[in-house]
Amino acid sequence: MNTNAESSGVRGNSVPKLQLQRGTALPAPKRVAVIGLGNVFMGDDGFGPLAVEMFRCKYECSSYVEVLDLGTPGLDLTPYLHGADLVVIADAVDTDEKPGTLCIYCEADVRGHRAQLRLTGHDPGLQESFAHLRMAGETPSELMIVGVVPESCEFGKGISSSVLTACSAAVDSIARLLVERGIDCFHRPAPVPPNIWWLCGDTSRLIALR
Amino acid sequence: MARISIDPVTRIEGHLRIDVEVDGGSVQKAWACCTMWRGIETILKGRDPREGWVFAQRFCGVCTTVHAMASVRAVEDALQLEIPANAQYIRNLILIGHALHDHIVHFYHLSALDWVDITTIPQANPARAASIADGLSTWPGNSHRELEAVQNKVKGLIASGQLGIFSHGYWGHPAMRLSPEMNLILFAHYLQALEFQRKACQVVGILGGKTPHIQNLAVGGVMNAINLNSLATMNMDRLGTLQSLFQEMIPFVQQAYFVDACLLAASYPEWFRYGRGVANYLAVPDLPIDAKATKFDLPGGVIMNGNLASVRPVQDWHDQPIRAAVAEDLTHAWYVGNDAQRPWKGTTDPNYTDFQDNGKYTWVKAPRYDDQPMQVGPLSNVLVGYASGHPLTRKWTDTAFDRISSVNGSKVTPQAMQSTMGRYLARAIRSAMLSDLALEHWQLLTNNILKGDDTTYNPPQFPQHEIVGVGMHEAPRGTLSHWVVIDKGVFSNYQAVVPTTWNASPRDQKGVPGPYETSLLANPIADPVKPLEVLRTVHSFDPCMACACHTLDASGREIAQVKVL
Repeated sequence: MNTNAESSGVRGNSVPKLQLQRGTALPAPKRVAVIGLGNVFMGDDGFGPLAVEMFRCKYECSSYVEVLDLGTPGLDLTPYLHGADLVVIADAVDTDEKPGTLCIYCEADVRGHRAQLRLTGHDPGLQESFAHLRMAGETPSELMIVGVVPESCEFGKGISSSVLTACSAAVDSIARLLVERGIDCFHRPAPVPPNIWWLCGDTSRLIALR
Repeated sequence: MARISIDPVTRIEGHLRIDVEVDGGSVQKAWACCTMWRGIETILKGRDPREGWVFAQRFCGVCTTVHAMASVRAVEDALQLEIPANAQYIRNLILIGHALHDHIVHFYHLSALDWVDITTIPQANPARAASIADGLSTWPGNSHRELEAVQNKVKGLIASGQLGIFSHGYWGHPAMRLSPEMNLILFAHYLQALEFQRKACQVVGILGGKTPHIQNLAVGGVMNAINLNSLATMNMDRLGTLQSLFQEMIPFVQQAYFVDACLLAASYPEWFRYGRGVANYLAVPDLPIDAKATKFDLPGGVIMNGNLASVRPVQDWHDQPIRAAVAEDLTHAWYVGNDAQRPWKGTTDPNYTDFQDNGKYTWVKAPRYDDQPMQVGPLSNVLVGYASGHPLTRKWTDTAFDRISSVNGSKVTPQAMQSTMGRYLARAIRSAMLSDLALEHWQLLTNNILKGDDTTYNPPQFPQHEIVGVGMHEAPRGTLSHWVVIDKGVFSNYQAVVPTTWNASPRDQKGVPGPYETSLLANPIADPVKPLEVLRTVHSFDPCMACACHTLDASGREIAQVKVL
């Protein structure tokens, strides 16, 4: 049942295999989570929540795929990662690339500190959740991070144009990551209207995204 | 006289700096400093009160639910709008699920490692540990095999030199005194707690439609459609799933968490003597059992000066003394002004000055009740309940006292609960109570639905003139209140007085320090470079600074520092 993930031409390490079997003869039921992290009031830090909402509106997935805007959960990220087969996290990442650059990482990149996740105000977050789950033997079989370099994470600033542009590519990257792993993910014939209440002034710019 | 500065305090939510002056091996002076500004209330001004809760639940990334709840209650209070009984019960079940989640995470993942030295686990005898655990509780997760597996994981981790996040613990500290077997038992539950944390989230998710940001609230009730014949709504199937989730969580809470907290208290009895702090306690009633919210399953009250013989009961959310007595003092906080402000007239204008020992030194305001600092949280809950003879509080508190005495022969009194250990124990007592109440409120909801009542929402009507309201909730960290002013159908002011603001309060204009600061006085410090004892007392409050003062620090990178000056 193991699916070989094709290289998707992404940054960071080569993409590891998705393990669907966890020590039993029968394949475990697939559990996939697409998670947006970030503070929606802090400018580009709201990239994660925006990306997953746009993803939900553009693509339709199987029922075992959960699409979640988790905000800034800190250690409370743990239950959402617990025992999952695949987790895709959309988040603003802190690298030296220029604002709006799309960066895709796997778990080894995060552990090797190649990606520094921007966790506003809610450390310890991802690293600590993973450490707990590793100890309990419940880490997700695979973690992918779809990151965008923010331009400005200031209070009440809204999303910058560079990050908004990157968001569209990020949404398609999330879909590609799922499809490459044999997970059903379809382009909706007509997109669902997004619920992006925190960017109400920006709606006209957002429509272009669809 | 040595000055120790811990910045940030780790294993809390958000950013907190604690400074203490140590002399003769104990703390003489303390300052609690929150290093982030909360400007989020300013976003709510001018908005439609019907959508305020959607914004308010982003006050914090962790306790989202409680702010959503306080926000709708504040608007309903301003409108004097009653909500249907079903809505009360559905909200209550969400609040119970959230609180159990929060308390479990606090005990195991945010604070147990102040007391449990995992580096001794390789020396434990798993068979002996299993037999000790068996003598303490009926929890099935204590088998010899299970404990051996946990021990092997820890051995592997230590051998690989990759303790990861666990490498920052104060291992081998002289104040760590549990046997290797006890450490093994507690750490096994630490790992099992991850699974139960997940179940608690599922409860909130099923009722709230989504977690951590619930979607089902409305000013006037909840948006859960009830129809026993529909697959898409609240039906017997979903009620059944909820019941099973609670039934799975209850043994963990009552047989693992509660028992572990008693064990910790029995093993570190000296911590009933430290950390008393401000002995004024405030709790508001919660878990209403009727539509009009006149009767509650968690009692509220005010206790002053540690006098448990005299409780002023807070009967309901209309309590006039609370509405008149709460003010926030800005003397030592980085805001414009030095006066004490009533929340309805409160302002949030920043005025940063740097850390000044005798001037302004934190982003947290100083809430006062009749000019007095107050301690809030599970301890206030339990003391108010115990002192007022609330049967469920008495049942679990007395059970805890009996358990402690059966382990170490000592007698714990309600007076001794006013301490660092008392706060840990009170949280476990409250969790045991809440897990009993979970099934009772599930039954209330189910019975009401079976009676044929499917209403969940009463639509609000907004007048054109100015109205004010306060939404109260006894959250996991203590009394939370949102204060709103609505004019011409939009918010004209919004202030949240949150549990951590009460507890992390700085000094006020009279120089009276807040609960964290007071509780640290006379704390022992064995080793100034490893101020474990400070962490034990600060963690006993379950600090969550994010909503006490919201982030403006976008860098996200931080290095924990303990500076001995």
